[in-house]
Amino acid sequence: MSAGAELKPLSLRREGDGLAIDWSDGVSTFVAWRTLRTNCPCASCNEKRQKPADPFKLVSEKEVAAGAPEPVRMSPRGRYAYQIVWNDGHDTGIFTLEQLRQLSTPRTN
Amino acid sequence: MQPGSAPIPALQGVRYLVAVASGKGGVGKSTVAANLALALQMHGQRVGLMDADIYGPSIPMMMGLGHVDPQTTAFPVEKYGLKLMSLGFLPDAGKGVLLRGPMVAKWVATFLTQINWGDLDYLLIDMPPGTGDAQLTLCQTAPLTGAVIVTTPQDVSLIDAVKALNMFRQLKTPVLGVIENMSYFVGDDGKRYEIFRHGGGLKLAAETGVPFLGNIPIDPRVAECGDAGEPIIRHHPETPVAQAYLTLAGALMHRAAKAMPGGLPEVQL
Repeated sequence: MSAGAELKPLSLRREGDGLAIDWSDGVSTFVAWRTLRTNCPCASCNEKRQKPADPFKLVSEKEVAAGAPEPVRMSPRGRYAYQIVWNDGHDTGIFTLEQLRQLSTPRTN
Repeated sequence: MQPGSAPIPALQGVRYLVAVASGKGGVGKSTVAANLALALQMHGQRVGLMDADIYGPSIPMMMGLGHVDPQTTAFPVEKYGLKLMSLGFLPDAGKGVLLRGPMVAKWVATFLTQINWGDLDYLLIDMPPGTGDAQLTLCQTAPLTGAVIVTTPQDVSLIDAVKALNMFRQLKTPVLGVIENMSYFVGDDGKRYEIFRHGGGLKLAAETGVPFLGNIPIDPRVAECGDAGEPIIRHHPETPVAQAYLTLAGALMHRAAKAMPGGLPEVQL
């Protein structure tokens, strides 16, 4: 089965510093929280990624306090996506199932 | 609510959540939703009807209701045995609705999550036309059982119906079927007149691999009954239109029963 319309996650759970997913096609994948945070699909993060990196960017106190990216909450959105609320307060990223599959890597047991 | 769906307390007692949608306005979506809701009830189902057309709510008029006092009225409002919710019940809504997208989304989410729908077999959602904020909010907030697409036979309606169909597919919401409204007219001479042509809905269903649920003929009494506040299926249950709705409701029940359970699993954090 490809990452098409029928593909669904059967279970999702935190494992260490990332998210383990068992998919309906029998594949198990893992994606680090940092990978998800870096690839947040929301409009403002998309726009930031299209700009050249700012070498003089000051890290905010909130970002420093948050430390490594961690989800505070991750909730289903209808039948097609999950929304993550991050420990830095960012909460507008809605990850479609296809994006979760693309960003994660299959595990070999 | 079906197993595996997201836990929205207000919808816990709802078995099937079905959007009645179209790409194009003016295809009779609200009329179909109102009559279909009553047809399902005539099949012995417990039915609610949520009017998600925030800019142009028409369910109150079609059901013979007007504004109510929100301070003293319990929502949903009940009429003809249906549980109903619409922005048209609120007196301020009559002043003209000038709302940006986020406010539309807020109202749709409020109707879904803040109204105590109770135990229902079907909650039909009369969608506004298009593929915008209301549709997206609905598909993000609630694990729909599926959507039915209403179209009229002509190409200009079918083009937008395809857009609506593709939107639901993109959001992984099953399309339960296509309904062709204003399909034909039977004159006093007994002849069948295909005023807006015929067969567009069937063609759309075949081309997109979606079930075709049925045709609804044109009858001037449909509009008269809607304006008078009693849908034709109640006022003239003997008419071919009313019979078509009963058949349609049976087809929808069949499709809904076969639909995959909605919702995604919760994340164990």
